[in-house]
Amino acid sequence: MLQKGVLFIVCLAWACASLQAQQCTLTLRGKILHLENNEPIEAAYVWLMEPNKGVPSDANGNFIIKDLCPGTITLQIRFIGHKEIKRSITLNASTTNQTFLMEEEAVDLAGVEIHGHQEVAQTTTSVSSLYGEALLQSRGESLGESLKRVAGVTTFSTGNTISKPVIHGLHSNRILILNNGIRLEGQQWGAEHAPEIDPFLADELTVIKGAETVRFGPEAMGGVILVNPPALPTSKKKITEINLIGNSNGESGNLSLAHAGGSGKFSGLGYRIQGATKRAGNLRTPDYIQDNTGMQEMSLTSTLGYSSKKLGAEVYYSYFSTTLGILRDSHTGNLSDLQQIIKNGRPFSEGEFSYTIENPKQEVTHHLTKVKAHYHLHPSWKLNVQYGFQSNRRKEFDRRRGNLNARPSLDLELFTNTAELSLDHQLNSQWTGSAGISLIQQANSNVPGTGVTPLIPNYDMVNAGVYLMEKYMKGPLEVEAGLRYDLRSISAARYLNNQLEESNLEFQNGAAFLGAMYQVSPSLSLSSNLGTAWRPPNVNELFSQGLHHGAAAVELGDKNLIAENSLKWVNSLELDGRKGNLELTGYVNRIQNYIYLNPTGQTFVSLRGTFNVYEYLQANALFYGIDLSGSYGFGQQWEGYFKASLIRAKNSETQAYFPFIPSDRMDVGLSYSFGKQEEGKGKNRITLSSLGVARQSREPEFDLAPAPPAYTLVNLGYSRKVEIGKNQFTAGLLVTNLLDTEFKEYMNRFRYFTADMGRNLQLKFNYQF
Amino acid sequence: MKMLSKLPLYLLTLLTLGFASCESNDPSKENDGEVITDVTLKFQELNPSNAPVGSVLSFKASDPQGIEVGKTPTVQSISLTKGKKYQMTIELTNSIENEDITKEILAEAAAHQFFFLGPVFDSNIFSIQYADAGGIALGLKNTVTVSSSPGTNNSSMRVVLRHELNKSFAGASNPNFSNFVQAGGESDLDITFPVILN
Repeated sequence: MLQKGVLFIVCLAWACASLQAQQCTLTLRGKILHLENNEPIEAAYVWLMEPNKGVPSDANGNFIIKDLCPGTITLQIRFIGHKEIKRSITLNASTTNQTFLMEEEAVDLAGVEIHGHQEVAQTTTSVSSLYGEALLQSRGESLGESLKRVAGVTTFSTGNTISKPVIHGLHSNRILILNNGIRLEGQQWGAEHAPEIDPFLADELTVIKGAETVRFGPEAMGGVILVNPPALPTSKKKITEINLIGNSNGESGNLSLAHAGGSGKFSGLGYRIQGATKRAGNLRTPDYIQDNTGMQEMSLTSTLGYSSKKLGAEVYYSYFSTTLGILRDSHTGNLSDLQQIIKNGRPFSEGEFSYTIENPKQEVTHHLTKVKAHYHLHPSWKLNVQYGFQSNRRKEFDRRRGNLNARPSLDLELFTNTAELSLDHQLNSQWTGSAGISLIQQANSNVPGTGVTPLIPNYDMVNAGVYLMEKYMKGPLEVEAGLRYDLRSISAARYLNNQLEESNLEFQNGAAFLGAMYQVSPSLSLSSNLGTAWRPPNVNELFSQGLHHGAAAVELGDKNLIAENSLKWVNSLELDGRKGNLELTGYVNRIQNYIYLNPTGQTFVSLRGTFNVYEYLQANALFYGIDLSGSYGFGQQWEGYFKASLIRAKNSETQAYFPFIPSDRMDVGLSYSFGKQEEGKGKNRITLSSLGVARQSREPEFDLAPAPPAYTLVNLGYSRKVEIGKNQFTAGLLVTNLLDTEFKEYMNRFRYFTADMGRNLQLKFNYQF
Repeated sequence: MKMLSKLPLYLLTLLTLGFASCESNDPSKENDGEVITDVTLKFQELNPSNAPVGSVLSFKASDPQGIEVGKTPTVQSISLTKGKKYQMTIELTNSIENEDITKEILAEAAAHQFFFLGPVFDSNIFSIQYADAGGIALGLKNTVTVSSSPGTNNSSMRVVLRHELNKSFAGASNPNFSNFVQAGGESDLDITFPVILN
């Protein structure tokens, strides 16, 4: 009886097991390739609708999904820049193996669309990218201006030609910009120093809003901006792109040419060369012309790459040079000058239109060279080597007497070497990770002959870091964690009052992060990322000692400043439906020993007049806020979008507000499309949008002038896309500040002196063939 | 492929080269060429027929370090006699570079101008006219007439040197033009001299 019972149970168990085996032991294997060249696609996302399971493809384009039940399932494959594949598959054999070919897509995205995708940077934190149509719309703008299209990103600007991106309230040395994978190392400490990069080099601008110190090194406290050129062609083909842009305000012209090709003889060899030039004259506010606000810019990038099954190598060179005019009346001699112009609310001198750039002005040249290689040691192990050399020359000219006008008052030369060695692994499609070492070496010199005591000393800096990160993926869940340790030494030297002053400083710090992402359904994903970051005090914060020319301010550095430490928690929800999408990001960033420039309330008297005295202080700070963006399509032709961001920042010791924190803002738009996209026929789109910016009511205790009032701007755009054979032609007409509203932006340092830009009419052509 | 296998070697060489060639220069002493360290006001008494009488009175404002934090300039008091007329000349030097700035200002007369303000003019104690060669409005040379009944023995005079202003701005030809900021430009000097009347 007992025996029978045991047998029965065993039978039952076996039956169950076999039943289960019959049901859910199937495996789906596949390979994802480019339709054009049969090259494997890495990191395409494969999603099975019914069991709610997904995996990314590996470096060879392969993927495996196990434990599937027989029956019909819907499979979806997505990869940026390619047409989505959606297919029903009947699983019946014990193994199904299929190859999927993905077709490149002329990216046709609606309006100003921001799309988060994990492929660009493998991270669980909040990522937003600008590409395709949205990037096309931003063409001709500076990096800072372009990125304003991303919710949570604003600019900190000096006039209308110098703008620095601000991520979640942080900017300058608290965010990182990567030019094709290399940390852009310029004189980013200065509020009036724009990033030395032309966004024309990129086909995608990505903003990572988390603290990404582990991956990219110190200073990535507020976030990271990736400026990535397109991938090189690996097979025989040629692509050329021309952009031509004209603006009525400033009567500027902007031309960019890019050409990429692949070799037919040597498979895997590809190149790309791209250049752009820009010239603009004095800008106009609704009421007057701003004197000396013209600019000139030239940029060039070239890439040569080789990729084979095991080896990939790339040589990259990027050149950027700019001459920027600084609003004439913003350069004040002393405090009473400054107070008078602030009281006046606009420049005293009446400008005339001209392309001539006079003092005060800036001349900046930046060279960047990169050599990169990777080698697949084993299907699951990859070795990466990257070396970069950068040279940055910054000359700033003030209004001076006689021959001195031809001499810069600030002349800095900065050399930076960066080297990185890392080992990536991907084990059984669930564990991926990377470990590496990174070195930065930097030398800054004041070029003699300025006739002005240098603002910052000459210095040498060495930074060495080691890091390790690992990601675990199973089904819809991704978990990642990482650790990093950095050591930095700075040795600085200068003459102060004819005395040689030398300082040697050392900083060291660890950083870590933990993040997770959960794909609740194909259309909904949640992510959370907690990361620490640190930033050693900058040379200007340590050593500034003297008059900040033109700003009527005396700035005092402090050699005893210690490193800033931050802990940032970013959470985001992404809803991607058929008709619309929604992205909500919320964050808290606690920064210990936040360094800020504090007005002492004292003044300094000289023969030249009186100046305000500022000193660098440290305090604990708390930043928090939310970004919200989304779009929705009403039928085939109408589409609406909105984006908004709120930031709060406080000194958590004194409860005082920090200066230059972006005020609340919201951008809404509606677009109407008509016409069919067929050969020879155009597809048209009209977009009407409005940007509302609140007055910054959370002002610091001391400011030279109160925050400017709230403002609303209306923009109107029209674009027409025509397919000519296989080529694509796009023309656009955009009117910004349609109503010619006079406004001042709180985040523009020149709000003290002048109103912002008036109406601008922009005409834009893009042709790809 | 042989070349490629040596790639790491090339990279390493490049890396070493790059890192070695990159050191900051030794700092060099930079003398401030822009700064005015000494401002001297020279008063030469004139008789009714505008001929010089007596010796030259000299009053100085100086800041030997230029614009340097923590140091305050020393400004001498101007001491003049009531009811007299003087020729006032201004001399500017940069003692750090041993430079005569007066010459530079004269050479750039079109971009510079002195304005004279303060209680000494508000209370009509002084009256001043530009007396530069060629009749230009510059202010390196002026005639100052001291009131014979000023009502006080102590006052002060503010001397402002403007750079890159619009000299043809309405009212700018007046040495007492108090809205000089409206003519644009920036201040190179802004000094207040105490005035003692005997």
